[in-house]
Amino acid sequence: MTAQEVRLCGLLLREHFGEVVEKVGTHLLRGGAQNLRIIIHETGVPLDLVKKSLCVLVQHGACVFSSGRKGAGSPTEYRTSCDRILRILRYPRYIYTTKTLYGDTGELIIEELLQRGHMTMSSTVKTVADRLTQNMEEGLCMDYGEVSNAFSKLVETHFLQRSTPATPGTPAAPVSTAPPSPESFPDCYKVPHMTLVGRGKRQLCSEDGEDQRNAKRAKMDSQAHGDEGICWQVNFERFHLHFRDQAIISAVANKLDQTSSEIVRTMLRMSEVTTSPTATCTKPLSANEIFRSLPPSYNIARPIVDQYLTLLVDDPMEFVGKAGESGGGMYVVNLHRALANLARATLESVVQERFGSRSARIFRLLLRKRHLEQKQVEDFAMIPAKEAKDMLYTLLAQNLVQLQEIPKTPDFAPSRTFYLYTVNQLPTARMLLQNCYKTVANLIERRLFESRENKRLLEKSQRIEAILASLQASGAEPEQLTEVEEMITATEKQQLEALRLHINKLDSAENQVDESIFLLESYINSTASTS
Amino acid sequence: MSEVKLKRETNVLDVVEVENRIKELCQQLPHGITDQVIQNDMPHLEPQQRAMVINKLLSLGQLDLLRNSSGLLYRMKDTQGAGKMKGSDNQEKLVYQVIEDAGNKGIWSRDIRFKSNLPLTEVNKILKNLESKKLIKAVKSVAASKKKVYMLYNLQPDRSVTGGAWYSDQDFESEFVEVLNQQCFKFLQSKAEAAIDSKQSPMVQRNSSFATSHEVWKYICELGISKVDLSMDDIETILNTLIYDGKVEMSVIAAKEGTAGSVDGQMKLYRGVNAVIQPTGLVRTPCGLCPVFEDCHDGGEISPSHCVYMAEWLDF
Repeated sequence: MTAQEVRLCGLLLREHFGEVVEKVGTHLLRGGAQNLRIIIHETGVPLDLVKKSLCVLVQHGACVFSSGRKGAGSPTEYRTSCDRILRILRYPRYIYTTKTLYGDTGELIIEELLQRGHMTMSSTVKTVADRLTQNMEEGLCMDYGEVSNAFSKLVETHFLQRSTPATPGTPAAPVSTAPPSPESFPDCYKVPHMTLVGRGKRQLCSEDGEDQRNAKRAKMDSQAHGDEGICWQVNFERFHLHFRDQAIISAVANKLDQTSSEIVRTMLRMSEVTTSPTATCTKPLSANEIFRSLPPSYNIARPIVDQYLTLLVDDPMEFVGKAGESGGGMYVVNLHRALANLARATLESVVQERFGSRSARIFRLLLRKRHLEQKQVEDFAMIPAKEAKDMLYTLLAQNLVQLQEIPKTPDFAPSRTFYLYTVNQLPTARMLLQNCYKTVANLIERRLFESRENKRLLEKSQRIEAILASLQASGAEPEQLTEVEEMITATEKQQLEALRLHINKLDSAENQVDESIFLLESYINSTASTS
Repeated sequence: MSEVKLKRETNVLDVVEVENRIKELCQQLPHGITDQVIQNDMPHLEPQQRAMVINKLLSLGQLDLLRNSSGLLYRMKDTQGAGKMKGSDNQEKLVYQVIEDAGNKGIWSRDIRFKSNLPLTEVNKILKNLESKKLIKAVKSVAASKKKVYMLYNLQPDRSVTGGAWYSDQDFESEFVEVLNQQCFKFLQSKAEAAIDSKQSPMVQRNSSFATSHEVWKYICELGISKVDLSMDDIETILNTLIYDGKVEMSVIAAKEGTAGSVDGQMKLYRGVNAVIQPTGLVRTPCGLCPVFEDCHDGGEISPSHCVYMAEWLDF
């Protein structure tokens, strides 16, 4: 829970849930486990608002509660962790992935679940069907059955999971340090039998009166569908495994060629459900199985597939390894090593872009050769002595390179000590990860600043849009419309356009930095779990 | 009296005889003769006399005194060398000998002082003298630019002093290295592309995209961009820098002795490769490249809200 992480979490909470939740959330992040009274006392927020904020955080899985440390009977304590809140940054990526895999229906299901935290299947299906029906043409409606199918498919591939069922009465719950994960329940991925027949309802017009009536109807429409109390949430780990597989496949495609990446994709797909998330490599697959499971559009002969597999094994990046000879050769995908290579490539690219290709040469040299003296660095890298010295000292100042002293005499006299330069991949990756968090926080800050600066302009344009819409709905003449449009001057239009571009750019930059964050986080977690 | 005179005459005669005898022995055994050998040859010679004769020959510059593990050795000195040094005195001869012993690598003036036990001023005077006589020369070392090493005039300085092919006049030729770098990379890249275009089975493709270090060396020699002759080791150092640039990978295979370019039964193969990932997301934002990243805080002088780099980047 570093300072940068807390700052970023605060910004994300503020954007998505508002300032009150931000206050409570950051206080919990900084302070560890606290009970309700302390939270109220220290944040100064009134009781009901604190309760509502905690509800919001619990609903989204960001906060967990357990009975107090002093044993049963003491007030419940609330605890948040950064991980869950930082996932908010990745929501667009989750939604986009589901869209590519399962189409619009899947996309909307995931979007609803991400917005609400957890929901029952029936309510999700109804809401999504309604939204889809909104966008469809007149006369067409989305059938609940289709949406349920999409939901079941998502559950089958483990992208959705049941939330931990709430235990009735916390004092009876055992005092455990970690709440039970959803996976520890056997029914985690079982779709309940649900009686839900019908179609999506289209909202015909957006008059306020209609809205009120619809809202009332929704409240009275709470028929039992057979799945009460079973809430579903998005399984982030599964998405992360998917992203990791995608990263490995694209790296193979970049380094080798398309066919090799297809083979690796097949191997990863076959081991999706058999490999545990923390495994260092997939289960061994025989060449026969791989050949049979290749997509039929690639009709490659069997010996060619064998050749590709041998080439993958021989590649210095070691994406694929050979685990035995039975069945025509048993192959595994080295997940941990692939992640380490990708993290290393990330570090090298940061050094290259920031300090130039010669410094990148020195950095890669040190990564390969581990410990080198200054003279040796100059000789191997073929860079003149003065420049090499300068670059090494810059990298040292930025803490990307470390110095190891080996004394010849016990008094560490400088003339009688060896000074060796070295690069440690794991600590450097952690440092860069913190830099990424700071960068994203900076980008969000800038975006908020830009919107604040141009608030007046944005409000004006919104008002004008609303007027235009109402005029159009009530069937006004073209002259009135143009009159209203001219209320915005040309320069203001330009400014608005520029503002829109800026905000889009900042948004997309956040997503790009999130990709780096994902690679570095996966590498750090994978190393931590294997060591 | 006459007996004494006789003895002295015999002594004088003996001395000349002994000298000649010793010289003959030296010529017979060019590696050098020890005291033992002289004693065996002339058993009647007293050690004192022997020492006197040897000292005389040494001072005349006709004999060389060496020491080996078993004792002292006397060797016939090159008369030509002796002729050169006729005009110099003992100290100069000593310094000259010390420099000669240093051979290819040359010797620093402080080391000359240690070995000859002469004071600094004397050594400097002698060195200047010898330089003017064109017997020795000073070569600037590439390792420490202020250091001068002395070696015999007609010797070629060793690689470690001049730096080898990459240094010309004690200056590291970085443009030369860059040009070689690019040429090697282009050669390997075109080979890899040709291999991909050939559309054969993947194994053949990969093997044909490899080039041995010998092939690269031949290509560079034929290109003729180098004024200096480059050896295969030099080319391998250049190829190593390409590996550290991440553009090339290397593998070693066993090769038959005698095939061109094989060293100790192995050959090094090099191959151009593509990058594994695109430049990472962090460096596409101004923060990833910002020189004042550490100083940036909200509400400070440097903050994201007022960042100049961001403003430029947004308007791009």
